[in-house]
Amino acid sequence: MLPDYDSLAPATWAEALAALAAQPDVVPIAGGTNVVVGMRAGELRGRTLMDINRLPELHGIRVSDGHVVIGGGTTVAELLASPAITEHAYPLHQAAAAFANPLVRNRATIGGNLVDASPAADTYPPLLVLDAEVELVSLHGVRWLPLDQFVLGVNQTERRPEELLRSVRWPLAPERSAGLHHKLALRKGTACSVMSAAVRVDTDQLGRCTAARIALGAVAPRPIRAHEAEQSLVGESLTEVTIRRAAQLAGQACRPIDDVRSSAAYRRRVAEVVVRRLLTAVDLELKEGAQA
Amino acid sequence: MAVYHAVGASAPRTDALGKVTGRTPFPGDLVMEGMLHIKILFAGRPHARIVRIDTSAAQAAPGVVAVLTARDVPVNEYGLIVPDQPVLCGPGSSKSGADVVRWEGDQVALVVADTEEQAAAGRDLISIEWEELPAVFWVNEATQPGAPQLHPGSPGNQLVHWLIRWGEMEAGWAASAVIVEGEYQTPFQEHAYLQPEAGLGYLDESGRVTVQVAGQWTHEDRKQICHALNLPEGQVRVVYPAIGGAFGGREDMSVQIVLALAAWRTGRPVKIVWSREESIIGHPKRHPMTIRTRWGADRDGRLTAVEATTWADAGAYASTTTKVLGNANLMVTGPYRVPNARVDTYGIYTNNPPGGAFRGFGGPQAAFAAESQMNKLAQALGLDPVELRMRNLLEDGDLMPVGTPLPPGVTIRQVTERCALEAGWKHGDDGWSRPDLAGPAPQRARGIGIGCAFKNVGFSFGYPEQSWAKIELIGGRQIERVVLYQAGADVGQGAHTVMMQMAAEAVGVPLERVRLVPSDTATSLNSGTTSASRLSFMSGNAIRGAAERALVAWQGEERPAVGEYLYRAPATTPYDPQTGACEPNFAYGYVAQAAEVEVDLETGQIRLIRVISTNDVGRALNPQQVEGQIEGSVVQAQGYVLLENLVVEGGRVRTPHLSTYLIPTVLDVPDEIRTVVLELADPRGPFGARGMAEMPFLPLAPAVTAAVHDAVGIWFDSFPLTPDRVWRRLQASEHCRPRP
Ligand SMILES: Cc1cc2nc3c(=O)[nH]c(=O)nc-3n(C[C@H](O)[C@H](O)[C@H](O)COP(=O)(O)OP(=O)(O)OC[C@H]3O[C@@H](n4cnc5c(N)ncnc54)[C@H](O)[C@@H]3O)c2cc1C
Repeated sequence: MLPDYDSLAPATWAEALAALAAQPDVVPIAGGTNVVVGMRAGELRGRTLMDINRLPELHGIRVSDGHVVIGGGTTVAELLASPAITEHAYPLHQAAAAFANPLVRNRATIGGNLVDASPAADTYPPLLVLDAEVELVSLHGVRWLPLDQFVLGVNQTERRPEELLRSVRWPLAPERSAGLHHKLALRKGTACSVMSAAVRVDTDQLGRCTAARIALGAVAPRPIRAHEAEQSLVGESLTEVTIRRAAQLAGQACRPIDDVRSSAAYRRRVAEVVVRRLLTAVDLELKEGAQA
Repeated sequence: MAVYHAVGASAPRTDALGKVTGRTPFPGDLVMEGMLHIKILFAGRPHARIVRIDTSAAQAAPGVVAVLTARDVPVNEYGLIVPDQPVLCGPGSSKSGADVVRWEGDQVALVVADTEEQAAAGRDLISIEWEELPAVFWVNEATQPGAPQLHPGSPGNQLVHWLIRWGEMEAGWAASAVIVEGEYQTPFQEHAYLQPEAGLGYLDESGRVTVQVAGQWTHEDRKQICHALNLPEGQVRVVYPAIGGAFGGREDMSVQIVLALAAWRTGRPVKIVWSREESIIGHPKRHPMTIRTRWGADRDGRLTAVEATTWADAGAYASTTTKVLGNANLMVTGPYRVPNARVDTYGIYTNNPPGGAFRGFGGPQAAFAAESQMNKLAQALGLDPVELRMRNLLEDGDLMPVGTPLPPGVTIRQVTERCALEAGWKHGDDGWSRPDLAGPAPQRARGIGIGCAFKNVGFSFGYPEQSWAKIELIGGRQIERVVLYQAGADVGQGAHTVMMQMAAEAVGVPLERVRLVPSDTATSLNSGTTSASRLSFMSGNAIRGAAERALVAWQGEERPAVGEYLYRAPATTPYDPQTGACEPNFAYGYVAQAAEVEVDLETGQIRLIRVISTNDVGRALNPQQVEGQIEGSVVQAQGYVLLENLVVEGGRVRTPHLSTYLIPTVLDVPDEIRTVVLELADPRGPFGARGMAEMPFLPLAPAVTAAVHDAVGIWFDSFPLTPDRVWRRLQASEHCRPRP
């Protein structure tokens, strides 16, 4: 049963920002795949919904100035269909492919996923390894925040109530860089992650790691980066030994909980396994790239 | 084999167009002018007495038309076998003990209002003074002295005890070369049908209290409503619109009685739609069982003795537990020649959700134990599991431990043999041997396993099984139209199409000339229930009888020519209380399945790669629908063994949504389900058909656990095999050896 609610449908970006600034109880709704579920569960009573789907400012996928920039209203289905995403953000493409199901992907947006900030939100780990930043806009101005600083905890972010998430951007990867994502869930369709991970490794001509990114979902109150694991790889070649050590450190970075999906111990252990497998696959890809 | 024109063809479903275009109304879609809405206050606690219930605030709330409680129910009890369940729990009831709630899904009050929101708001204003009672959630605790008692007539919380005493156990053990012992635990399972409970209640044009609802047996629903409302049958009418799945979960009353009660008390149309959460909390589940069992065999692999004790969690009310456990008691020795047997089966009340009917009806739990024991015996004897089965499977004339043979036409050997061959088993001079499998991916292991089972068709143990049908032949010189009256519920499996095919066949006209007047107590007599794989078998025989009579009337120039027929199935007998001796069933279907899995040794994830399901259906009345039932069974059983995990803590379901109670999606089905249909006619079945829609559920769980054992050398005696649980065992196991 969906309770009654008031709604706004601003025609312009300025109107939308003005409405948010004027009425602190206004809740933006994009795909609604979190908002409507919440309303059915009795949340957001008495709040006014503001439909932001028609605002052109929130749409589009562009590559410019050495960056990929996507609108906050980009749907997961659009990510999945975009050749630019497949080429420049393969881990995000993989996350989109494993996201929910085709119906939900048609509605769910990247902005909604990031602002909802579930610990299991699937676009976080790939965007974290891509060094993404989010653009927050209000009547007071525009600010860019690294994604790692944007997210704070379970459903908590740096977003202020009057701000819209207009876009997400990340720099194009350097040469000799590769990244991958994996979602471990209890079933293949429409499943919340038991845990998920994304990795990215940049290397020099000799195949040594110059920078590494390892991000994990559903293993802590917020999606995390495994900084120690990343550091352990810098300056090293990817070998069974260095990969194993990094994977162990990634496992240790987890602060998981027990829930109906799995135990904390299991999550920590498979985080290690998944990171090891991803790094091994990335290594293979880099070596194949070097030969090509 | 006989040649037929209408049965045996994959006639398109008569309901297909309406359903795919969304035009077919399901109970939740029905609306009437001036209709009110009902919300139910559920107990929300496992065991408590309602000392006082204050509905005044709810009654005064905007839009609320009526608040109904236990006081408003004339005969405040119901139940399919024992009327041990209050319609509404609370003080002032016509029945003693009805002031106590015994599980969280007990219904306490109905709020009837102009809108659903107002009904919900009114419900939240009801204030109740509870006296919490000590509760019990484990079968082994419920049977201890001093445990809280749920029902006065059931000391020790024991609802039922079935037994079988057959042969001489001492002699059996003495003749054994190997003995295998096991303790098996099977979980709850939720039906998770597409359409949550819903319906419309109103007084029809002749003033009858009418309920349009999704159920499995119109006439039984009517009987339960009449009993609770103390109304004669002529004053109550039950109609089924389209039904969105059932699987046994719609046998018990959910919204039927309360819809009738509210329509009757208010005199206005009333509607109710349960949320998914209300549905998962509010209806019975598949019984969790613990089965402790010991099987002996001689050096040649011939079974010598089987001992089995089963404890089933019956939950708070009887529902169909006694019958479910009658089946489990019979099937726990498997489809095998067992010369000596000692079987005990107990149903125990707890404050958990009630156990009720669910596809397989006690068979899946029993088959899991029996087939696992056979697979372990094969290992202990160093025999191939197919070879061991071939040495023990029942044949025509062999006695079961209940002292009687299976009805003629026993084909378990044929289906098992065919399944083994299809799965790649080889049969050579030294017997059967396992197939070679494709090599697994790194850090994975592959295995294959097999299981077989039998499933009764129709109600068992002395129940007077019967089904009614009427056929009208309309026309002048030739039969222009055939009107079939039959109340058997099409729960989504395509039964109506098949009934019409059978009518066309029996009358000898093309299918297009047949029209069905379906499930409505105002137009049909009792056709029995859609359960126990009985509908095609029972209604088919009724339709044949009715057609025969109608054709005689047609010959006698009657226009329209009408034939009515009440088919009575061959008689069965109940368990003898001392020995269990009986003639349990009049028909069976036979099935065997092989499953191939890949186990991820590091994450514990199991992929079901391939399932071969070989089923003797007697006669595939509509091959496409038969295949649908087989594939559906396999996927539902896949969920049961690998995925579905109803978490119940302190009597409360912690996974009441489909986001936490996960069932397989279309992406999760095995890479290959190979359906092999054998048509070895049942001499008693209509056109040779056997019932078939439950049996493909039965052998999958033990076939999968056998495949996992084949892959990693670990026996799983409980499930679901969630990755976490599998990973734990892999960690703990020294013997975890990936097959090279
Ligand atoms: C069946 C189902 C399956 C799902 N599966 C997955 C899954 O596999 N992986 C996963 O990560 N998630 C999953 N989800 C959750 C959900 O789909 C995602 O979080 C989705 O990305 C949310 O996007 P939305 O556009 O629908 O958000 P909405 O529900 O519209 O909004 C979510 C939140 O973000 C805010 N918001 C939205 N857009 C903006 C913006 N531009 N600026 C500021 N605030 C904004 C809203 O106010 C709200 O607080 C699933 C949900 C369902 C119902």
